[in-house]
Amino acid sequence: MGNINIVLGVIGFDCHSVGNKILEHFFTEKGYSVHNLGVMVSQEEFINAAIETAAPIIMVSSLYGHGEIDCAGLREKCIEKGLEDILLYVGGNLVVGKTPLEQVESKFRKMGYDRVFGPDADLEAVDSILRVDLKEKGFSL
Amino acid sequence: MKTGRISMDEFLSEREQVLKSWPTGEGLSLEKGLEYQGTIPVEKNFAHWMKKAIDEKKTLLQPRAGVALVDEHIKLLQYLETEGQADLLPTTIDAYTRQNRYEEAQTGIAKSIAAKTSLLNGFPAVNHGLEECRRVTESVKSPIQVRHGTPDARLLAEITLAGGFTSFEGGGISYNIPYAKKVSLETSMAHWRWVDRLIGFYEDHGIHINREPFGPLTGTLVPPFVALTVAVIEGIAALTQGVKSITLGYGQGGNLVQDVAAMYALRELADEYFKREGFNDYELSTVFHQWMGGFPEDEAKAFSVITWGATVGRFAKATKIIVKTPHEAMGIPTKEANAQGLLASRQAINMLSEQVLPVGPTFRREIDLIKAEVNCIMDKIYELGLGDAQEGSIAAIKAGVLDVPFAPASVNHGKLLPMRDDEGYIRIYNWGKIPMAEEIKAFHAQRLNDRAKSEGRTVCFQMVTDDIYAISKGKLVGRPR
Repeated sequence: MGNINIVLGVIGFDCHSVGNKILEHFFTEKGYSVHNLGVMVSQEEFINAAIETAAPIIMVSSLYGHGEIDCAGLREKCIEKGLEDILLYVGGNLVVGKTPLEQVESKFRKMGYDRVFGPDADLEAVDSILRVDLKEKGFSL
Repeated sequence: MKTGRISMDEFLSEREQVLKSWPTGEGLSLEKGLEYQGTIPVEKNFAHWMKKAIDEKKTLLQPRAGVALVDEHIKLLQYLETEGQADLLPTTIDAYTRQNRYEEAQTGIAKSIAAKTSLLNGFPAVNHGLEECRRVTESVKSPIQVRHGTPDARLLAEITLAGGFTSFEGGGISYNIPYAKKVSLETSMAHWRWVDRLIGFYEDHGIHINREPFGPLTGTLVPPFVALTVAVIEGIAALTQGVKSITLGYGQGGNLVQDVAAMYALRELADEYFKREGFNDYELSTVFHQWMGGFPEDEAKAFSVITWGATVGRFAKATKIIVKTPHEAMGIPTKEANAQGLLASRQAINMLSEQVLPVGPTFRREIDLIKAEVNCIMDKIYELGLGDAQEGSIAAIKAGVLDVPFAPASVNHGKLLPMRDDEGYIRIYNWGKIPMAEEIKAFHAQRLNDRAKSEGRTVCFQMVTDDIYAISKGKLVGRPR
């Protein structure tokens, strides 16, 4: 699976770095090539990295509450740059304040994200979902 | 050459540039700031409260809180003061302001007005400006501290101090390494020297402003010696510029003995190093932060973490405790949840107000261990800085002599790996480039081997991950499933 690239990073001006390091470690162990852009990543940086690495997926994290502002428009920008088919995953504490995950999910789905995860998502489960999504996109795993 | 006090000329010429960085900085006057601070009654002065708490051996409670709009922010603070019975109030600054992104903060304000709810994770004080800050500080009875995470907080400090805030959190290391990616240490430390000099300027004119370096750093398995080394250096940096009221902090690790020992060691080390640097005229207080890592989502479980933090903070004789909320796992809390965290903590510290934890041999072992660890690093810092702790700390971080676990800053080595031992103490699995004495390393290794043995696995990175998520999953030590 070393040939499947994941672009990973924390969006906007968020500097929460712990989960980001754990995600890098986890998906590397699972056999993906993880291109970790670290914290405080702009939408353009995510897209450029995805183009450079031909990654089928961008994983966006946001922990600090500004996710709603920071994540808007990423799908449109991907399409502009010719990444119509790219998978967009987003996870963390995506909005300001305690909100039911279903509500957050529908909000971010409308923004063009394929999968939306809460802060305590089980990484093994995320990996299983990712495998299903990748297969659907025609990747042999 | 030793890092000295910034001259008035330098201070003023830098200030001219700082004030130009956003329109609300234009026309600010140091004299008017002094004059306004002079009208604030002593009961609303943060430094006064900290001094009084030390004298009366009290532990004060302070929440974190900040929203995008002024009127909502005022309502929030008033609620925490009355319903939450907070002793000290905060104004937490939003993440855009922390990166000096005032344009984005302005967008956040506009979107918050449109959405009729705060879309920012704090109060954008620079955008709101001086008069609105005064409206905030005048709307409550308690002193308010500015809490943030800003590598360059010069304009924020100028506006908020002139706006009536009487305490300012942060530091050149503690608001860089955990809060930035590419800001050089030379730059952040220089900017914080300016902030400390601004506060020193207020002190020169008889206005007492409290200063608090940010103790918890990344808030994730930070070994006490790392937090305390940074606290000592930032304390020295602040006192050098004329700060008098200094509050040093530490974030709860989870093991009672280690946490109490860390707070004892913090006071002893600070006094020792401040005296060594020639400072005698300062008021040292301490702050204990309730668990800064991941929280359980279940509110009942979260309350347990909160009250345990309050208990340990009181046993550790903290001058104040920074309180968490039952919404911690989900992000920014409602004002009601915030007040609940305060009331739960209040109950715990009140029940302990007459009780003293006997500090016996096990505590002393840990206090001495932490002090020996800090001394090891400080010796190397003085050596690298040719006698100057501030210069030495920059070289030390670059060389990995001082290393903060899980930090985002690229200048930080990030090789130091902590994990818990069999009793939940935070020990070191990988020292990276830290020049620690061999017998101390051997002690840590022994303690980790004991854990590995009792779990029937070898010491491995998985333990670190397990430990990071253990509390949110209901335990202190991340045991195998």
